[in-house]
Amino acid sequence: METVLLKNIDNPKSADIDEYLKAGGYRGLSKAVTLEPADIIEEVSKSGLKGRGGAGFPTAMKWRFAATDPKFPKYLICNADEGEPGTFKDRPILEKNPHLLLEGMAISAIALGSEQGYIYLRGEYPDARDILEASIRQANDRGYLGDDILGKGLTFNIHVHQGAGAYICGEETALIESIEGKRGQPRSKPPFPVNQGAWEMPTIVNNVETLANIPYIIEIGGDAYSGIGSEDCPGPKLFCVSGSVNRPGVYELPMGTSLREIIHDHAGGIKNGRTLKAVIPGGLSTPVLPAESIDCRMDFISMQGVGSMLGSGAVIVMDDSICMVSVTYRAMKFFEHESCGKCVPCREGTDWLRKVLERVENGKGREGDVDLLLYISGTMTGRTFCPLGDGAAGVVQAMIKHFRTEFEEHISEKKCTYKSIN
Amino acid sequence: MVQLTINGKKVSTKKGNTILEAALDNNIKIPHLCHDKRLMPYGGCRLCIVEIEGRKKPEASCATFATDGLSVWTDTPKVIKIRQTVLELILVHHPLDCPVCDKAGECDIQDLVYQYGSPRTRFVAEKNHALPDTRGPLVELTSSRCVLCGKCVRLCAEHQGKGALGLIGRGFPTVVQPAFGEALECDFCGQCIDVCPTGALMNKSLKFKARPWFLEEKDSICSFCGCGCTLTLGLTDGKIQRSRGMQDRGVNRGNLCGRGRFGFDYIYSENRLRSPMINKGGELVTVTWDEALNYISDRMKSIINAHGPSSIGAIGSPRCTNEENYCFQKFMRNVVGSNNIDSSASFGYGLVEKAWHMAFGLSGHRIDLKYPTGKEVILAIESDLTVTHPVFGLNILQAQREGSELIVADSRETKLTRHSTRWARIKQGTGVVFLNGIMRIMMDRGLIDNQIVLHMKDVSAFEETLKEYTPSKVSEITGLSRDELVTITETLVHAKTRMLTLSIGVSENSKGLDTVLAATNLIHLLGESPDALQIPAEYANTFGLYQMGVRPDAGPAYQWTGVEGKNIFEMLYEPYSLKALYIMGADPLVNFPDKSEIITTLKSLYLLIVQDIALTETAKFAHVILPASSWAEKEGTYTNAEGVSQMLPRLIEPAGQSLPDWKILKNLARTMGEDMAVHDTTDIVREIDSLRVKYYDSFPMTRIFNPVHYVPGEEPDTEYPVNMVLRDVLQHAGSMSTRSKTLNLISSEALLEINRTDADRFGISHNGYVKVISRRGTVYLKAAVSDSVPDGNVYVPTHFPHSAVSTLTHQSGKGRITTEAVRIETA
Repeated sequence: METVLLKNIDNPKSADIDEYLKAGGYRGLSKAVTLEPADIIEEVSKSGLKGRGGAGFPTAMKWRFAATDPKFPKYLICNADEGEPGTFKDRPILEKNPHLLLEGMAISAIALGSEQGYIYLRGEYPDARDILEASIRQANDRGYLGDDILGKGLTFNIHVHQGAGAYICGEETALIESIEGKRGQPRSKPPFPVNQGAWEMPTIVNNVETLANIPYIIEIGGDAYSGIGSEDCPGPKLFCVSGSVNRPGVYELPMGTSLREIIHDHAGGIKNGRTLKAVIPGGLSTPVLPAESIDCRMDFISMQGVGSMLGSGAVIVMDDSICMVSVTYRAMKFFEHESCGKCVPCREGTDWLRKVLERVENGKGREGDVDLLLYISGTMTGRTFCPLGDGAAGVVQAMIKHFRTEFEEHISEKKCTYKSIN
Repeated sequence: MVQLTINGKKVSTKKGNTILEAALDNNIKIPHLCHDKRLMPYGGCRLCIVEIEGRKKPEASCATFATDGLSVWTDTPKVIKIRQTVLELILVHHPLDCPVCDKAGECDIQDLVYQYGSPRTRFVAEKNHALPDTRGPLVELTSSRCVLCGKCVRLCAEHQGKGALGLIGRGFPTVVQPAFGEALECDFCGQCIDVCPTGALMNKSLKFKARPWFLEEKDSICSFCGCGCTLTLGLTDGKIQRSRGMQDRGVNRGNLCGRGRFGFDYIYSENRLRSPMINKGGELVTVTWDEALNYISDRMKSIINAHGPSSIGAIGSPRCTNEENYCFQKFMRNVVGSNNIDSSASFGYGLVEKAWHMAFGLSGHRIDLKYPTGKEVILAIESDLTVTHPVFGLNILQAQREGSELIVADSRETKLTRHSTRWARIKQGTGVVFLNGIMRIMMDRGLIDNQIVLHMKDVSAFEETLKEYTPSKVSEITGLSRDELVTITETLVHAKTRMLTLSIGVSENSKGLDTVLAATNLIHLLGESPDALQIPAEYANTFGLYQMGVRPDAGPAYQWTGVEGKNIFEMLYEPYSLKALYIMGADPLVNFPDKSEIITTLKSLYLLIVQDIALTETAKFAHVILPASSWAEKEGTYTNAEGVSQMLPRLIEPAGQSLPDWKILKNLARTMGEDMAVHDTTDIVREIDSLRVKYYDSFPMTRIFNPVHYVPGEEPDTEYPVNMVLRDVLQHAGSMSTRSKTLNLISSEALLEINRTDADRFGISHNGYVKVISRRGTVYLKAAVSDSVPDGNVYVPTHFPHSAVSTLTHQSGKGRITTEAVRIETA
């Protein structure tokens, strides 16, 4: 398959605008400036593109809400706060192919009627910040951004806003609060950002990868694009594979590629000749899958069928030497640390879960702790303010569902049986 | 309206309300911790969760909007279980130190846990036992009790417009704290204490003083500014222990400022007068009521015999009730036979009434505290209503948040300018020029309301008077750019709804009758109704005392008395014009300008009677001092700036031998052989009612232009190079509040606010003492170097008796601007 998102990635100077242009860059934008905004949205609608941030919401639908809102100005925000553990798919785009993102944003801005864009960049990506800012300057100089795009009198400027390291700011309303200079806490919805987002104006928040698909869609047309990958959610998808595999890394594959193919064919199979035990398929907050489920197709719809989620496409592979209690405990430490503290179930629930998991992992678990874990996580599911709490609870529930005996062994044996293996 | 079903019952609610608001409006209780109707939906505590038919997940009712046809169930077993779990989660770390927590008994957490049954504790964690932060003067912060509902933080930022508290840290370790963990420095409104559902934020002055279940709560009316807020006072053993606002109660709808919440304790001040006193040979000697009243009676009679009743004058009080002020003027008019009666209103509300009458032919100017709501443009002229009338100010801030354009023309940076959409930084005292400039632009561009203006007689004459206020001249005097003036004019003209507002009173000196008249002229040109001008009466019963006839030119209910008596200027600033003066509840030496002139007058009197609750500066010059009961010790009514008459119940025993003012007057009349024909307050109320006419309908409205020209205050020169502007501070109203121990913890002396540039010029350091010299006197004050004030100007409050700022000031006798030229030296 022709690579779209990682095109030119092996070129050491791929971030430079000339290299990008040589590889056919900004053709999509050149076409887009001749189109009506509604036609651009129509193309994206035909393409069937779904948001790549994790929720899989149809991009064109989101755009339409904002585009038809009469309020002005409108804001376009690129969510580059790639904070989901295991996820590093946006980084190659940001660092190696920044103009693809800028072009995607410029086209989207035309479609939406936005004149100001923001890239909300993960605080831990300092290199990306420099590269993006240099690229924005280049694009401005060449007339691909700025106050007169390609001589058509269109305005679109982009500002890079660097986050300060909070996971919750990847949630779109918390991200907006953060851009406004406030404490990063999710907002109550409705009103949705498409109507009342940044500074109460219509705001679109799209993931880096979503926006990076736009130039290609405009270039080849929505219909052609919809032929790639799964029928229900077409297009290329970046998978970032980490953990017990021989060749961890980012792979651009058609949506719907099976987990087995990703792990064994692309990532080189399980490290050290061990056997596969479990996979977290879409970043830490997606439910774990046992080894026998890896024939499922990696797309938004198929993954729901097996009780997990495509999420960000961050495949975390675990072999048979890995202690699942330890993984759960480690995950919960993360969620506890990253809970914003706004709502009671998430703030108190993650803290409580972490404390119980800690004692189970350290051989101090008590009888009934497994049920207690299920009880606490059950009180969080669907009752927290934002999906962070749901994710944290889901991790525990899936781990216990598939590996309950391991938790019970920790409690009865009063130790972690895997510590001796490693 | 939206129709929905809650628990099978059909209810309706305003569009845009949440399900929780719909339920609460219809008396359906849903527990909640983080909801407050003054704030934006938050959805943090998850206690208000409900089930909605057709939706998979239970929803937080405080963050879900009510829509037509919803069917909501608030108490299903599922929902109850969720609430129990949330409470269990909260209690895991809660210190459960209820035995030593002053909140216990009225704590939302206690009540909810009690209501939902004590949850089992399945998890034993170490309790949160962070030590309380006791550094602040009034608010104690015990973060271990905090449930992070965030109401305090949001109320402070969203509603009060202050933002002194923040949620610091993330997730579980989050704490509520001022910035950088410093001690709380804020407006000290104490609203955070009222909204805190637990004992995390507590009123320090109440600490370990009273268990809530022993507090008997009664409502009364605040005795400070003209807002007339309802205080819910908690009493034990016949003593007021605290004051708080209750949601939706009173004109304040539960909001209180720091004065209302903390300042009531001035009635327990150590220098309360407990018995009558007579000055015998230069010393104040305690006497019996009989002796005091006979002394007054004898002297008064002989003065009347020798010099006639018109040699006796009286000054009434906005701190006294309507009934007392009524009796006071009745005593003067019927017993003494003199119309010489006036009050502090002559420096403030009296001027507004005068302008009101001159411009519209109306009387009884009253405001509507809710008037700012929904107005397209609000223009505030040289005033910070958030200081003088805090609850009115809150409504202005709220209107701005909800989309009103707030234009503030002021020389000083204030809370109002900080929240304005446009701050026109005019030079102090130039409000008249600013307004005339706007009107000139309107005239020149034909932006006036012709339907109204063309029916007015004197238009061309009026236009002529505006001629000299060319944009360039206005720009030169006010310091405002021409473009800014034009933009403001256009904004004002093109708005569909407007409000013009300012405060005026004896404690401010950069505005006068001219400023009010200029504003009424603008109302005419805009074709606005007179209501668009909102100037609140300054103190608790200023509006009332004016209606009761405590004024030289009219009796109760605006009835003309035939002969105009001496006004406050003639009585206080013209030595030897009177032989006797009866002052009830006023302290002219502190509150009125030009102290030395007043002292000369007081010393010229044969008889000075001071009747008050505490030993005031003025009382020290009195021949006789009569102890009066405070607002909490008697029954009566106050009429607020809205014209609403509100009951004050008797809450506590009178201090010492003090008596309600009306009773003193009645007794005095009797001693003088006259009968006031009143036996109790019911009699007085009946008598007032019989005199009352319909104030507002009885006068036909007219429209008359009253051209005004800019007359500056005392102009600075080389000897006195700095302007001194008088402004109130947020913690005080009048001077009685300075007797509150609690308020004194925050603000206990007059600070001279001075710009950095001037401070450097005069070699003054922050908190250093300075000598302030005017043409009339010298005082020593502490300096506060502040970016809020412009250079060439210093700002001083008058509240504090010992700061004696009135030594420096002068009066004009005509309600003019009286800013002072002063010299400043290091002390």
